[in-house]
Amino acid sequence: MSDKTGVLVKAAPGRAVRPALERQPFSAPARGGGQGAAVPAGQPFSTPARGGGTYLLEVTLKPEFTDSEGLSALGLLHRAGVTAARCVRVGRLYELRGPLNLGHVHVAVRDLLCDCVTQEFRICHAVKPSPNNGNLWRVEVWLKPAVPDPVAESVRYALLELGIPDPEVRCGLAYRITGKCGRNQLEKAAARSLANPVIHRCSVCEAH
Amino acid sequence: MPEAVARKAGTQNAEPAPWSGLFLNDLKAWSARRSRPLDEAQLAAIQAHFRTLKREPTLAELETLARTWRPRQTCTGPIRYSCGRKSRVIKNLLEETIAQATKRLNRPWCLSAGKDQAGIVAFGAKWALACQVKARNRPCAIEPRGGAGTLMGGVIREVMAAGLGAKPVLNMDVFCCAPPDYAGPLPEGALHPRRILNGAVSGVRDYGNRMGIPTAAGALWFDEAYRLNPLAFCGTVGLLPAWAAAKEVRPGDLIVAAGGRTGRDGEGATVPEGVQPCAVQTGHAINEKKLLDALLAARARKLYRAVTDCGAGGFACAVGELAAGCGARVRLEAAKLRDPDMAPWETWLSESQERMIFAVPPRNLKAFAEVFAAEDCETAVLGEFIAAGRIEVTFRGTPVIDLDTRFLRGGPPRTEKRAVWDPPKPHALKAAQGKKSLSQILSECLAHLNVCSREWIVRQYDHEVQGGTVIKPLHGIRHDGPGDACVIWPHAATGNPADFQGFAVGHGLNPSYGRLDPWRMALACADEALRNLLCVGADVSRASFLANFCWGSPDDPAQLGALVRAAEGCRDAALGFGVPFICAEESLCNQSPDVPAVPGTLLLSALAPVADVRKALTMDVKGPGNALYLVGWTAEELGGSLLHQICGRAGGTAPAADPRAALAWFKAAQSALAKGLVLSAHDLSEGGLGVCAAEMCFTGESGAALDLDEIPRRAPIYSDEILLFSESPSRILLEIAPDREAAFLKALRGAPAKRVGTTMANPVLKVTGLDGRIVLEASLCDLKSAWQNALPRRLG
Repeated sequence: MSDKTGVLVKAAPGRAVRPALERQPFSAPARGGGQGAAVPAGQPFSTPARGGGTYLLEVTLKPEFTDSEGLSALGLLHRAGVTAARCVRVGRLYELRGPLNLGHVHVAVRDLLCDCVTQEFRICHAVKPSPNNGNLWRVEVWLKPAVPDPVAESVRYALLELGIPDPEVRCGLAYRITGKCGRNQLEKAAARSLANPVIHRCSVCEAH
Repeated sequence: MPEAVARKAGTQNAEPAPWSGLFLNDLKAWSARRSRPLDEAQLAAIQAHFRTLKREPTLAELETLARTWRPRQTCTGPIRYSCGRKSRVIKNLLEETIAQATKRLNRPWCLSAGKDQAGIVAFGAKWALACQVKARNRPCAIEPRGGAGTLMGGVIREVMAAGLGAKPVLNMDVFCCAPPDYAGPLPEGALHPRRILNGAVSGVRDYGNRMGIPTAAGALWFDEAYRLNPLAFCGTVGLLPAWAAAKEVRPGDLIVAAGGRTGRDGEGATVPEGVQPCAVQTGHAINEKKLLDALLAARARKLYRAVTDCGAGGFACAVGELAAGCGARVRLEAAKLRDPDMAPWETWLSESQERMIFAVPPRNLKAFAEVFAAEDCETAVLGEFIAAGRIEVTFRGTPVIDLDTRFLRGGPPRTEKRAVWDPPKPHALKAAQGKKSLSQILSECLAHLNVCSREWIVRQYDHEVQGGTVIKPLHGIRHDGPGDACVIWPHAATGNPADFQGFAVGHGLNPSYGRLDPWRMALACADEALRNLLCVGADVSRASFLANFCWGSPDDPAQLGALVRAAEGCRDAALGFGVPFICAEESLCNQSPDVPAVPGTLLLSALAPVADVRKALTMDVKGPGNALYLVGWTAEELGGSLLHQICGRAGGTAPAADPRAALAWFKAAQSALAKGLVLSAHDLSEGGLGVCAAEMCFTGESGAALDLDEIPRRAPIYSDEILLFSESPSRILLEIAPDREAAFLKALRGAPAKRVGTTMANPVLKVTGLDGRIVLEASLCDLKSAWQNALPRRLG
């Protein structure tokens, strides 16, 4: 880890990473958390940051595109008995942690993690449960800490190449479910169809 | 690390109490707490060995022995086999059947059989092909994507470690699982078959596609008996220069580990609480790709003398394998770790993926390290090979392991197991419940899960990468018909586009026959795999087999008896067809108190060269007005057949292949194919002539008229149904242009062949019965949609 960082610290000035905040304001619509407002995410499984910050990025398809992953998740939920679910949109979650600032996170999300043509992103607040009469649900699926995560490893490596210093990355999935479902039923169905309890941890809360 | 986990890891890492004074029961109790328990005889042997050494074993030594001995204990021991009234002792099952047959055949082009990481056969003058097929079942039932992905990665690595390393050019995958719409009960915690199939396919897809290896061959078998214990097989074929087919280790060579870092992965390591102690791993295809590129660059410069992969047993087994003829001294502190707080025995036995061990002469070390660094692949010098015949492992100067390689590799003391085979009693045929029309049976056959289109899976795999897939998995005018076998032209790996030599891979798998008689199943599988190769124009006289046995517990005499019978079938197939086995693997214990035994499953894969890929054939009918010839005898052989399953019948006898007679027809048909007299060829397997003709016709979009009275048969058969759906082995349907018929019949040299029909422009399949009336007339469009829609519909 340290040797790679050493190389990159030398290489980074040469690359002249454009300060992300100087760019055009990004047009991704803010949802819930509000775009650009970076707040250390108080995620259920987060561990204390090593200085710097912890940022949770969520990348989703823009609403005008059909989310086939979401459709297939909807099918799985229906089959698992959650017939009240009407729509599922899937988002990719990236938890970045380390000596980072907001500029780094913007570089990460715009240059690497989000395809701005088809996708939008948000740098979330801590996703706090917001009771809404059980109409909107959020299921987050993260790998358990002991399970190797090659995707996160590749993301980390790519971020280092972008000149972001020593980031620690975890990857997960967020399912935003619309429909009046019961919590217990949803928890059971999610553990049976969206996550594998052997390797995943899964959290269900009333929020989007 | 949470306190509870640390405590658990602490107890797992504690050195065992002095062993020499303990009673066997105490030893057993200690061993039972480990992830890999040893049995009584093994514990007694270890205790006796260390008593003679006058010292106590270390934890690392015990774990190393548990892991090195465990895979060998299954069917290498003596077996008392009773068949009817006869009883005899088999000393080493696979050695006495498969290996002996291969030795008797003594094919000069068979460069390595059963010795190296993969079987190696010559391919032209300059090249060789390495091939390996492996099964891993338990992880695929628990975490299908990770299980199948790491299985694929593991088998690719085995081929990379064959000889001095081969470049993978083809992947294949075979799954046996319950129907995806299974609606029966499942115990708590078991994954639904649909999820298992989805996950396993995605695992193979994500690994193979990212490594840039085409996945173009495979099979799929559905049976409810696999619902708790799915089987996953993955195979890889690699290409290597003929000079690189042998490896040697010399004392003084450095032990260099390359690839991914070592972490707490696999069954052996102490995994934190909450994660089941099983091989829950995730593959990292990009790391393996880097390792492959670096390996090929280092091989080209001859920078190392031997290589092996770290699979089950990690460094312990890999170093142990290479050091079997000499010895090794290892300093574990040099290993690159993912978790810096790992205990030495965990490092030694970790099953982390994407690692390989090289034997590098010291003068090449600098160049070797540079080649790997250029691919961003880490290397670490773990120690050196020595001539002392011992494995010595230290961690920061403290001895961890000091074992005699003869004791380690000699294997555990073996207890005699019992095997019983009751010859199959002639089953009475249970009558069908209600009669179905022939066209109804045909469309149900085509829509049967074991016959229907696998396009949903095939399209997820990249089968075109490397640009050498000449015969693809899907055929026909619209590229959506079934295929017999794939043909690969490895020009990207040989670098010579003027060399048109290629190879084909086919499979034979039919657990339904195995339920009736495993011996017949083995012969039928061998026969089917060879016919698949024949139909694409491969040279069956140069074919080689790979066998994978998946059976229930070897402690059950009936299970072991069936396994012995299947192994004997493989031997008879090898001798009869003259085809050597280059690999044979067994995966037993697919059974536990809560999980019933899987049906005895034998996967036979066959590999054969194709002299000129430009002459390879596809199975679709090429046009109207051509003659359809059926080669091979048809008999009333319906035991385990699709017809019986569809009509709800049971019993009968499984089809019996006659390898010697069949080989003569195969050679005759092959000479006709080589002369360009044949337009298309397809083998008759599940569903017999009906399914075979329907597949050829709807893939080529030309109709056909068949006359059942013309079917070659030795004994009279009076039923249209049996003639159309019998699954007699060794039969092929060939399409011949009218002006080539005479030349074709001459080339067949008296093989049983008759003109059974003609192709026509009208898109229907028309069958004339024994009484001269039309007994079946079905539109190709309906047949095709039945065949195509079955799997997507049942996947939901």
